[in-house]
Amino acid sequence: MTNEYLINILGILTILALFFLIVSLIFKMEKVKELRVEVDNLKKSLDEMDEQAKLIVRTDMELNKTQEELDKKIIGLYALQRLSRTISTTLEENQIFKMIEPEYLEELGFERAAAFLWDEKEKKFTLQLSVGYLNDEAEIIKSSVDKDHGAYLDVIRNERTISSISIPKGTFLRENLCSLFKANDFVISPIMPKEGSKGFLFVGTQNLDITMTEGDEELITIFCNQIGQAIENARLFEKIWLSQQDLEKKVEERTRALQNALNEVKLVSKRKNDFISAVSHELRTPLTSIKGYASILLAGKLGDVPEDMRLRLDKINRHSDELTHLVNDLLDISRIESGKVTMKRETQDLQRTVASVADLLSVQLKEKQIELFLSIPDDSRNVLADATQISRVFINLIGNALKFTPANGKISVQSQKVGDEIQIDIVDTGCGIPENAKEAIFEEFYRVENTINEQVKGTGLGLSLVKHIIEAHGGKIWVRSKLGEGSTFSFTLPQS
Amino acid sequence: MEIHIGVGASSESDEITAVREALRQARLKIPSERIDLAIIFTTINFSYSSILKTISLYLKDTPLIGCSGAAVISHKGIFKHGIVIMLLNIPEGVYFNTASVTDIKAKGALNAGEELGEKLLYGFQGVRRDFGITFSDGLIDETSNFIFGLQEKLGKSFPLAGASASDDLLFKKTYVYYNQNVMNDAACGLLWGGKLNFGLGVKHGWKPLGKPRHVTKSNDNVVHEIDGYAAANIYKDYLASDLENLKKEIKRISILYPIGIYLSGEEEYLLRNLLAIRDDGSLVLQGNVPEGSQIRLMIGTKESCLLATHQAIEEVMLGLGARKINLLLVFDSVSRYILLGRRAEEELKIIRKTLGEDTQIAGLYTFGEQAPLRAINYQGVTRLHNQTITLVGIGG
Repeated sequence: MTNEYLINILGILTILALFFLIVSLIFKMEKVKELRVEVDNLKKSLDEMDEQAKLIVRTDMELNKTQEELDKKIIGLYALQRLSRTISTTLEENQIFKMIEPEYLEELGFERAAAFLWDEKEKKFTLQLSVGYLNDEAEIIKSSVDKDHGAYLDVIRNERTISSISIPKGTFLRENLCSLFKANDFVISPIMPKEGSKGFLFVGTQNLDITMTEGDEELITIFCNQIGQAIENARLFEKIWLSQQDLEKKVEERTRALQNALNEVKLVSKRKNDFISAVSHELRTPLTSIKGYASILLAGKLGDVPEDMRLRLDKINRHSDELTHLVNDLLDISRIESGKVTMKRETQDLQRTVASVADLLSVQLKEKQIELFLSIPDDSRNVLADATQISRVFINLIGNALKFTPANGKISVQSQKVGDEIQIDIVDTGCGIPENAKEAIFEEFYRVENTINEQVKGTGLGLSLVKHIIEAHGGKIWVRSKLGEGSTFSFTLPQS
Repeated sequence: MEIHIGVGASSESDEITAVREALRQARLKIPSERIDLAIIFTTINFSYSSILKTISLYLKDTPLIGCSGAAVISHKGIFKHGIVIMLLNIPEGVYFNTASVTDIKAKGALNAGEELGEKLLYGFQGVRRDFGITFSDGLIDETSNFIFGLQEKLGKSFPLAGASASDDLLFKKTYVYYNQNVMNDAACGLLWGGKLNFGLGVKHGWKPLGKPRHVTKSNDNVVHEIDGYAAANIYKDYLASDLENLKKEIKRISILYPIGIYLSGEEEYLLRNLLAIRDDGSLVLQGNVPEGSQIRLMIGTKESCLLATHQAIEEVMLGLGARKINLLLVFDSVSRYILLGRRAEEELKIIRKTLGEDTQIAGLYTFGEQAPLRAINYQGVTRLHNQTITLVGIGG
């Protein structure tokens, strides 16, 4: 009984346990189901995220490519700017290519470069630049370029850049260029200065990772334009420099010739002065004797002098005076010219000087009924001059005016202050001076051809002497005149 | 006694002038006449033997190691054409040994690594070895195996930093310098011991993108299948491109979207650059990818790159504590140089701003960097990296 009871209880318990187990299993299965859904969701999310990752990678790749392109362009532009700045710093043609640094070219994406200029006389290309090549390699390139110069001259003639972009792969030209210049990608662009020899620049790279773009082609074209411009500037500068050198040489030669001529003139002038001085001195002695003997004869100290003889002796006496006068003038001019006479500069009252001269000439003035007017204001009254010499200036100039002014004419002497100098004008109403004689009258022994000069004797030394005296004072003299309307002689003297 | 280091740099086009100028600058920073070690980095297109000859004229038999790079880095700037020379005057208590290995391809990278390790250890008995620097030809396919070989001799978790030499991005020839020898298919190394204080920083800044995937078939640095499909499908899918276009764009893809290997416990993914895509759809990577590895496609930007530079310097500073940095060696991936483009100098600016304008810097752009990933406490295993900036700070 007891056993049966126990078995029943155990059976019930087993059933209950089974029940709970089944219920728990059902719950677990539900949980597993839920977890499976969760795992599926997570797997789905992971797949979705993986898909997103793919999108990210693709976008990132595109962005990086764009960035690389941009970087390359910026670096290229910087390099181009630096290159342009560098080559523009020289004005020597043979220095331009030497200034193209390999590192700048590398920044442009090219580790190899060669530049050539066409020599029209020699009919061959000359190598100006070689980067990334050994000497032997550069020689091979040079001789090959010379051999096929026609093809390279075409690049220059057509003024067109060619590159591994524009020449299709597999063509003979491209393969030839690639193998000659040892490059996988390249650009060849003409260098076109306006005048003189033109050429081309080759730049290339062996790096297969570098993708050449049209932008690279453009950069190299711009760079070649700048090289062309730099060469042009250098040539222009050289031309200007050479012509300047030529000019300087000519100026130097001319100056030397003029200096020689001047020295010659000075020498001649000195000889002339020496000669005049010597001759004058030699003339003076016999003249004094002639004049002395004539005076003795005229005075009747050697017996009576018949009228005819007196007349002749008078003439001898007068001519001797004139000759003495001439010799004295000549001597003065010669002395002033050679600097033997120093002007003793003192304050001179123009009013007084002119008045004393007028006094001296009063007889002649009266004879010809000529009025002499003085207009010397106080502010232009005093000059710094040698008293004797300045009197001679006035005697000569007023004397001349008197000589060439017809009777009843007018002479005026005026002074005015001009800057630091005093200008004196001697104005007459005489016959005037022809235009062509205005300069010559100041030369020695020059005499204007006119009726008065034919009648009145003169040495032709007066104005020359005046000019010498004025210039020795640091002043200048000139004349304004019109035939038949009188003359104005003006000169300047330092103010006192 | 403190280690004295002088760095000189020159961008003169004539190598003899450049060496003289760089040596003069470097010497100025060293109070002693004695130079114990020279490290040099050069760009391509120099007469390398002429460089080494000129240096030997001044430094006689001073041990020298170095390699070539697409550009050299110094506190004077980044030179696309230039030379950087470091001269070291090493105090008592600090030991070093240099060695080289040649014919790596013929010997096998693993064996060559072991040979270099052995040579470096020679003469180091009884001295605690601290740290190693290696420079190797950047065009060796199996640099990962070379490092494994070194680790066989120096210890699995021995801290190593190094650079794979690079050229002017034509991937034609890179150079390793050892004493007066200019070498290809070779590597050289430097082992430090004693009381040298140094800090390491390695960061790349690339982030994982998309679903995690698994390498189902690979052989060293060639990944044949990913998730049972041809490995190249990962790039075909993400870039919506066919095999031909992918091959054309390989350089850009390699820089922008490398493969990242997930390493359990490491902070950053280990990056692998794409070297080639084979016609069967397999990917040739710069460095090994073990079968079963979890990988991700990685994405990087200029900003993330520069942020990584910042983080790498912080790691160096953490490693050195309060000590002043005497010299900062920079092994910077050429990929970063290309990606940053005009902003490449910004990395240098960040370094100088953080460490001070007077910090001496010497480095180069590399085809691969070697460093432990978890660099802060040096416990990480040294690996071959791509796309990183690897910094080694040598303290006073």
